[in-house]
Amino acid sequence: MRRVTRYRGIFLALILFSCVLPTYVSGAELQIKSDTILRLFQRDTATTDDATVLPGYEYLQVDAGHLSDYGVSFHLYGWGRNDFADNDYYENQTAGELLYGYMEYRQEANRFNAKLGRFQVFSGVANDAVDGLYLSGDLGDYFDLSLYGGQPGALDSEQGRSGDSIYGGRLAHHLGTHYEVGVSYKSIDNDHDKTAEMIGVDMSLFLPANIGLYGYSAYNNETDDWAEHSYELRIPVGSVLFKPYYQHFTYEGYFGTGANAVNPFRALSQTGEKLSTYGVDALWQINTNWTLGGKVKIFDHDKIDNAETYSAQLTWQGDGLTQYGGEIGHTSASDTADNDYTLVRLFGYCDAMAGQFWLDFVSADMLMTFYKNDIYSEDSSFFASLGTGKRFLNDALSVTLSGDYSQDPYFDDDLRGMLTMSYAYDKQ
Amino acid sequence: MAKKSVLSILTLLAIMLLVAACAGLKSNSALPAKHPTTAELGVPPKNCIECHESGEELPYQRYVHTADFGKNHRPEATQGEAVCAMCHQTSFCNDCHATRVELKPSLKNQTETYRSMPHRGDYLSRHRIDGRVDPTPCFRCHGNPKSARTCANCHG
Repeated sequence: MRRVTRYRGIFLALILFSCVLPTYVSGAELQIKSDTILRLFQRDTATTDDATVLPGYEYLQVDAGHLSDYGVSFHLYGWGRNDFADNDYYENQTAGELLYGYMEYRQEANRFNAKLGRFQVFSGVANDAVDGLYLSGDLGDYFDLSLYGGQPGALDSEQGRSGDSIYGGRLAHHLGTHYEVGVSYKSIDNDHDKTAEMIGVDMSLFLPANIGLYGYSAYNNETDDWAEHSYELRIPVGSVLFKPYYQHFTYEGYFGTGANAVNPFRALSQTGEKLSTYGVDALWQINTNWTLGGKVKIFDHDKIDNAETYSAQLTWQGDGLTQYGGEIGHTSASDTADNDYTLVRLFGYCDAMAGQFWLDFVSADMLMTFYKNDIYSEDSSFFASLGTGKRFLNDALSVTLSGDYSQDPYFDDDLRGMLTMSYAYDKQ
Repeated sequence: MAKKSVLSILTLLAIMLLVAACAGLKSNSALPAKHPTTAELGVPPKNCIECHESGEELPYQRYVHTADFGKNHRPEATQGEAVCAMCHQTSFCNDCHATRVELKPSLKNQTETYRSMPHRGDYLSRHRIDGRVDPTPCFRCHGNPKSARTCANCHG
């Protein structure tokens, strides 16, 4: 509760900051996107059977400043939830998270980019939220560098923020459309204790005939072990794209994140397990409308038995977002997870109704899963969802209504409803 | 011993790259701040090579949004965040990759059945099998103390 109150203050301050300051910046744009989601379903709680649960979510995004061009801009995105029924289904009636809120400066020369605030870093070994400073840019024609430092956003609930730090970066060398190789580093401390120290190498090699080789390796300096090696080839043959790949994971290095390791990953890091996966994905673009995909993947464990999965997917793509398709897959893991399952999915999204019907789109999804061995005395799952929506105010406002039904090992005749209102404001 | 060797090699590689990098600081990169939108182009800019020829500045082929791109874009995100950012704001990525979200991606965007959203349908049952077969993809989105709260009810 205290956390939500704290974020509410930050959230409001950043909204005000984002809305007011850009008015002093020439050529400023303002974009606001709001998704308001209201869900309705029933669950058994500690005190009530079939208690009504009525959570409302607000996802708010504000972007202001030089958005379409280089210059200064401000960005904010977060979500909040309130359970209007308040009947103990959730641990707390309210919840929320500021996912990012930062000021950014982008410069055309050398693609210089600076961020200050809370931001997400996707670069090399980093996939983290940071409260701090981020700098990146080209170093000449053949190199680029990114650096970041501050406090880790994911650890602010772990024994306060004192002594928390995260820093790292990635240096890459690239030669046009021939290759790119990068070296990255990340160090995270929680309460002055080292939580993670990762070193990574990533590479792309673009060969003749549009063949590509992509690779990534990460070393966990805390556990003194390689965490991962992932390598993939992409080979186009006519209208078919083949992607053979190989991955190797050492659980101690991959899941071992020190005192902040969470279950079930903490337990996995102590098993001494090593996993190699290999297989091939194939994608055949039959024509502009039809695509056929197939996948074979083998899981080779060091300590437990192996498993494999196979799947195929056929999709038809129409105008706009219209798409229909089906998928069938089988995972054979009797010796690994004491079970096998076969999954069948049919889905559709019709975006071609505007002007012909009052509604603008209709969507449908159906999944059936068949288990070899019962899970809680059930040998299958059935899930179906239907949705529809209409856009108003020149597509600035969209209202979507969807419902889903599930009959599965965990829920019996479970019906859920959802109303989503999305509003986008754009001032150039 | 192995640790020292790896660190020495990587440090050496980093220093070599840094020294070479500092040799010339001016970039001729000419990527725009933003890519034209679907509204401006008339079609979604998913197939890069329809407009961009190979041999230009970027290896455009790798960024083509094929039918399985939603499930397999890690090399592009790891190396080309700036390219992704020309079309996608971070909020787009945050449906799956975030410090903490409560609604699974396929539920938050339930009607968007055309997107390859993970965990569709009764994933609670399937994850009992998938998680034992290969728990490494789980860790990428549920590996920190905040994002693992969805796991905590059962896994402690």
